[in-house]
Amino acid sequence: MKRIVLRPDYCIGCRSCEAACRSRFKGEARIRHGEVTTDALLPQGCRHCEEPLCAAACPFQVIVRNPDTGVVRKSDFHCVGCRSCALACPFGVIPPALMRHMSQKCTLCSDRPEGPRCVQTCPTGALQFTEDDRMPEKKAGVGFAVRSIHGRRLA
Amino acid sequence: MAKVEWPDRAESRAEMNATRTTCPFCLNGCTSGVEFNGVVHQMHYFTDAEVNKGRLCPRGNSANIVLDHRDRLCRPLLDGRDTTWSEAEALVRTWLAEVKPEELAVVYSRGRAADEVRRLHGLAEELGTPNLACGHIEPENCFNYRLEGVRDAGLADIESATAMLLVGDVFSTSPVASWRMLDARYKDRKNRMVVVDSVRTRQAGFAHSFVQVRPGTEPFALLALAALIESGLAPGVDVDRYVELAGVKRQQLEAAAAMLGPAMPGFVASAMHTGRVRHPAFHSLAGQLVARAGVKPFVGFRETELPSGPMRFADLRRKMAEGSIKLLFWTGGLFPFSYAELLPEAAKVEHIVATSIFRPEPPVRGLVLPLTAELERASAGRSYWGEVERSPLAAPLSGTRQFGRVLEWFGRAAEKPEAAVRPVGAADVVAMAARAVDAARSEAADDPDRVPNRVLLLGEKKAIGLRGFHDPEDEVSVNRADAERVEVSNHGYLMVKSPTAEREFRVRVTDAVPAGVMMVGTNVHANRCLFPLEKDELTGEVTVAPTPVSVEKTESMPVASGENPSVWV
Ligand code: SF4
Ligand code: SF4
Ligand code: SF4
Repeated sequence: MKRIVLRPDYCIGCRSCEAACRSRFKGEARIRHGEVTTDALLPQGCRHCEEPLCAAACPFQVIVRNPDTGVVRKSDFHCVGCRSCALACPFGVIPPALMRHMSQKCTLCSDRPEGPRCVQTCPTGALQFTEDDRMPEKKAGVGFAVRSIHGRRLA
Repeated sequence: MAKVEWPDRAESRAEMNATRTTCPFCLNGCTSGVEFNGVVHQMHYFTDAEVNKGRLCPRGNSANIVLDHRDRLCRPLLDGRDTTWSEAEALVRTWLAEVKPEELAVVYSRGRAADEVRRLHGLAEELGTPNLACGHIEPENCFNYRLEGVRDAGLADIESATAMLLVGDVFSTSPVASWRMLDARYKDRKNRMVVVDSVRTRQAGFAHSFVQVRPGTEPFALLALAALIESGLAPGVDVDRYVELAGVKRQQLEAAAAMLGPAMPGFVASAMHTGRVRHPAFHSLAGQLVARAGVKPFVGFRETELPSGPMRFADLRRKMAEGSIKLLFWTGGLFPFSYAELLPEAAKVEHIVATSIFRPEPPVRGLVLPLTAELERASAGRSYWGEVERSPLAAPLSGTRQFGRVLEWFGRAAEKPEAAVRPVGAADVVAMAARAVDAARSEAADDPDRVPNRVLLLGEKKAIGLRGFHDPEDEVSVNRADAERVEVSNHGYLMVKSPTAEREFRVRVTDAVPAGVMMVGTNVHANRCLFPLEKDELTGEVTVAPTPVSVEKTESMPVASGENPSVWV
């Protein structure tokens, strides 16, 4: 099952991922920058959880996980815009703002055989779409760091 | 309620044709493309592209938004009201007949391709007007000043680099180029990256050595660095004096000099933002001097490269103020022309003809003609890495015209070759430094404590392509010490008053900016107005430098500025 993985040591905070998502959906981006710990600003996207709480919270069961692809998708046609999914998501990645009366949820760009737009546009390759959701192997002496919004190494 | 069932649809897009071109928004030369499904345009990422492997920055990702934007201008405007092309043409011809050649001024700015600028030079000659100026006054245009003996960097230089010097925020100017730099940095643990900047940006976090200078003093630190790399660079380079002016430690520069010596292959890259640097030509040349001392190629990251006209923009301003310009033809980006606060002289011009892709906001007096976007026409030019050709991504928007057709109203406009680059020798840079020291001395005499709560306001280049074009930019970055001094906390409000404008901001307390310095984004009109236009005494260029402002705590909510796309297109 392929997932989006972020290599924080390559992310320069350019928000191109956000721009690509936003330019496709013409409104709220479904991957957005948020503060991690108290200081680091990194993109936050849908994890496509195995047991999605957004799906559990949806009163109309409009959010469904496809067991074959692992993609948690929402039917815009049936969405009533009650925001239950936005409140239920433990990662806070469903924007509370409605667009055209619907909540906005990452589809993993499943309309696109080439894969997610945010990954494809990421200028530094910090976002990866991969089967393996572990961090990439460390090269000798090169650590992966989380950086604050103004560049300090935090971890 | 029964579970809703629907299939995962991977729409078959095999038959959908994606148009391919080179992104025109900056000189990185990324291959970009759009798909058109008959209703809207969507971005397409060509992964086989050599420069960018399909990756795009936020601006590049906005190409489809530009094509479909609701604020595109598709009818000529006369004093803010719709008019027709035939009326516009008749009006221009009448105005042209009324004025003498010396009363006509032509200004070109960002958005005009190289061939179009050459035609404007030909046109000015044909019309017999000396008043032809470049209106692209952003500091980055001073990368046109080129130091003799410095080679342009290529992609291979970046890929094979072991020593890198980044001056200013290169990553935010050209995110797509940063990928190769990061790869080079991580390739070997011995590889070194040095960053010189006045602000601790995200890019600074990747540096092995971050040299944080006083705002506006980057060239002094660079000149000292060049002298430390190449001892005996030139008599008259006083390293200790420059180190003191830049507010850095000599040992740190010595360590950086050891990293950047001639033995290490690498490159020097530089970027300059509006409101961030003082003396941009000196800034550009000082970076190139380090490149020359360290035997490295140089690349100046910028959005466009425009040659200066026969007349300096500063002289044109003076003529406008005197009232000796009766007809002004302004074509390309509307900054600073449409900023009444910054260029009040424009009000003295009788007749104005401007061109725009978007409906100007605030409205512009005179005639505004809707042109096709850069993405809707073919052009050729240069990127940092070589020659590029651009083909149209979409058909021209109905109601717009190609630039050439508007030019025909004025005259024949045969192309006249024009050199974009201004060559300078190393001795001139050292002489420039001596004059800059004098300027710095007189600035220091201007006591910063005279005005209460006075700080230096800097500009920041923020990601754009969001919310249509960019964020509202209603935040000001404030150092912890300053926040305590003016008694504001995170998310409090501050009124910033500059000589040209004032605006309320929400406070973001951060260590990115040093004490005594605050920083705002410079994409929106309201923020750009805070930075008065300055004449750079070293070169006579008009520029937008860090500016002293006074700040005051307020209680109210700032009003969002809204979107103003004409700022950057
Ligand atoms: S995968 Fe697609 S929908 Fe999801 S965040 Fe990325 S661009 Fe947006
Ligand atoms: S596009 Fe890539 S580098 Fe830029 S903010 Fe997103 S993850 Fe980070
Ligand atoms: S880096 Fe420059 S050329 Fe590349 S996508 Fe961004 S604006 Fe376009």
